[in-house]
Amino acid sequence: MKRFTRHGLLGQASVLVLLGAAIGLASVPLARAADEVTQDRLLNVDKEPGNWLHHHKNYSATRFSNLKDINKDNVKNLKVAWTMHLAGVEGGGIWTHGGLEGTPIVENGFMYVTDGWGSVYKIDAHGGKGELLWKMDPKTDHDWAGAVACCGVDNRGVALWGDLVISHTLDGRLVATNKQTGQVAWQRQVADPNKGEVLTGAPLIVKNMAITGVAGAEYGIRGWVAATDLTTQKEVWRTHTIPGKGEPGHETWKDANNAAASGGGSTWVTGSYDPATDTIIWGIGNPGPDWDNQYRPGDNLYTDSSLALDASTGKIKWHYQHTPNDPYDYDSVAENVLVDVPAPNGSTLKLALEADRNGFAYAIDRTTGKFIWGLPFVKKVTWTKGLDQETGKPIEYDANKQVQTYITAVTPSRENKVADICPGNMGGKNWPPTAYNPDLKLWYIPVIESCNRITLEESVPEKLKAREFWTGGGPSQPFKITGSVTAIDVTSGKIAGKFETPFPNLGGVLATPDLVFSGQPSGEVMALDAKTLEKKWEFNTGGGVNAPPMTFMVDGKQYVAILVGLGGAWDKWFIDATPELKRIQPGSMLYVFAL
Amino acid sequence: MTNGKRYFDTALTGAAAVAVVLSTIYGALAQSAAPSDPTDAGKAVFKRANCFGCHKWHGNGGGGYGGEALSLRKTELTREQIMETVGCGRPGTGMPFFTRGAYDTVKCHDMNRQDAGDHMPPEANTFLRPNDIEAVADYVIAHIKGKGEPNYTECVAFFGDTSRVCDVYKKAEAQPTAGSTGGGGKAN
Repeated sequence: MKRFTRHGLLGQASVLVLLGAAIGLASVPLARAADEVTQDRLLNVDKEPGNWLHHHKNYSATRFSNLKDINKDNVKNLKVAWTMHLAGVEGGGIWTHGGLEGTPIVENGFMYVTDGWGSVYKIDAHGGKGELLWKMDPKTDHDWAGAVACCGVDNRGVALWGDLVISHTLDGRLVATNKQTGQVAWQRQVADPNKGEVLTGAPLIVKNMAITGVAGAEYGIRGWVAATDLTTQKEVWRTHTIPGKGEPGHETWKDANNAAASGGGSTWVTGSYDPATDTIIWGIGNPGPDWDNQYRPGDNLYTDSSLALDASTGKIKWHYQHTPNDPYDYDSVAENVLVDVPAPNGSTLKLALEADRNGFAYAIDRTTGKFIWGLPFVKKVTWTKGLDQETGKPIEYDANKQVQTYITAVTPSRENKVADICPGNMGGKNWPPTAYNPDLKLWYIPVIESCNRITLEESVPEKLKAREFWTGGGPSQPFKITGSVTAIDVTSGKIAGKFETPFPNLGGVLATPDLVFSGQPSGEVMALDAKTLEKKWEFNTGGGVNAPPMTFMVDGKQYVAILVGLGGAWDKWFIDATPELKRIQPGSMLYVFAL
Repeated sequence: MTNGKRYFDTALTGAAAVAVVLSTIYGALAQSAAPSDPTDAGKAVFKRANCFGCHKWHGNGGGGYGGEALSLRKTELTREQIMETVGCGRPGTGMPFFTRGAYDTVKCHDMNRQDAGDHMPPEANTFLRPNDIEAVADYVIAHIKGKGEPNYTECVAFFGDTSRVCDVYKKAEAQPTAGSTGGGGKAN
């Protein structure tokens, strides 16, 4: 807070800064030092409540801010403070336009946002207005990347380290940009679009390393999580999410096609980090081909799993798999939220919470990877009767079977090529992040209440080609899809409330002490009562909300910010389930609200 | 209303004709050095109408999040059948109709909206005029239908050479025996 105040004063009193610089006083170097992002600051973000330094707010990924100048009593007076048009709406590859899915990062009154093609914008948010200081355009190769981006021209934001802004580009680069000048300091090719790999997630910074996750499970990649040393710019480790020959878990790929080599398991949502055990917890995507699980008999580790990695070495500590031998595209890329809650016996449960595409919310013991509780958070689940109370596996799961059929009548297979599944293949819950209120012990899930139809196409090795879809079928949308914000009481593992919305939640959630902020792809940004989920405020942005809200403080005043611009998978592949959204125009705009 | 609509269509046709003339002149000027391909206008429609969004630049389509777009390389449709499919879409599939008024004022497969019912194909984001539909059919016949595996030359003809989007074909052609999928490993 002291740091923050100092910088705020400097920012306002620019004459003093100029004077200080001219005379060569120590104040300018000091101010710079205060802006250096260190591991200590990343570990202790609670000491800087006005800032938002991590993609998910903190290493635990709670997306909870304790700022409460905006609260349930006055939120009705929330108004637009300022807006800014961004770029990046142009298309490329198979995409007609880009969209906005990013979370702004704010440090000491300066905001860093990205557009869909990975341009980074630094905005001075002092003085109740937004002023663009610089824009770094990484000149992403639109067609090269856009032709193999399954689910949109997206970039979910930046991370900060030292005096650098760390970001990804869709065409596979990790880019370090000087925070003051906006000049690229260095960049490194981490993913290879020639293999169908693209980058959409924000980096996670742990101990001078940038952790990168990759997308491409629809294009036959073999997924990984990679760590780049931010000083030497070299790779520290790269852990594949599909075990290689001789590694534990490889035996869960029992086919004769070498399906593991193109087995998917992408990692495109930023993970979380538990400093107490030096463990990174990362969500792993679906197996490929998505729907033809007879092509890849076995449990297909570590697809559809939460994976715990030693942060220093990348070594796998434990895994918890949600949907073994997945025939539904129910990936588990979602963020794991790390929370501590009192256990009935007086001890403390150290949990990792994950809301899965398959419609179930899971609490896992994050020390051991053991199942604690799980429950459906969507209104309708048809693929399983429920979870085994001991193991958390779907009740129909049979470890002796090589191919899982769960509830056979509704499961796509070579014998049952057209199947209607609930949740639909987008979930459940997709990438839009949850939020957790540690005071109320409530966890808020942005929900897609859905069913859709899967038409299976039998996969054969000859169909596997670089940069071509490897899905084993595809979805169609004969059913209307809606949404909700669903709250779960983490102490009991029970649903505490559900606020239903006409459209799926494609943006995610922010929690403050007595409010929950979220949006709709039809344009509304809204604030709900944190306890009752009653709507307390709403504003229509006139665009489509496809990104999470966040909050910050500058000059002693609280703001709420959100990027608006409908893009992503929904707009292209799932729009028939929400025909009213066809009228939403592409856009690229930052909204900032204040009292 | 009918008169008004007809007038509107006529006005549009006029505007489109001017645009076609202008773009033809511009195209001729811009490409005076290179031999012009008579199907370039159809290629432009293939891009503008987002045909490549599902069928891909090479026309092979393939399974994806939008379901299976049929292969235009392996298609046996005639020029007239392609034009009908573009104009009317394919009932019961995701292939949209591109003719304004299809299933309303323009008969498609002898059906109107009521007849099509649940099989009514989606409406395209862009409507195409008859000459656009002819042009895109000519382009498909000349450059896509009956062709084998997509190659580097075809890819560059579609995208130009400023992007790395075609590099994967260059590599495949340089090393015909090397497997190019899966594997993972370091990318740099």
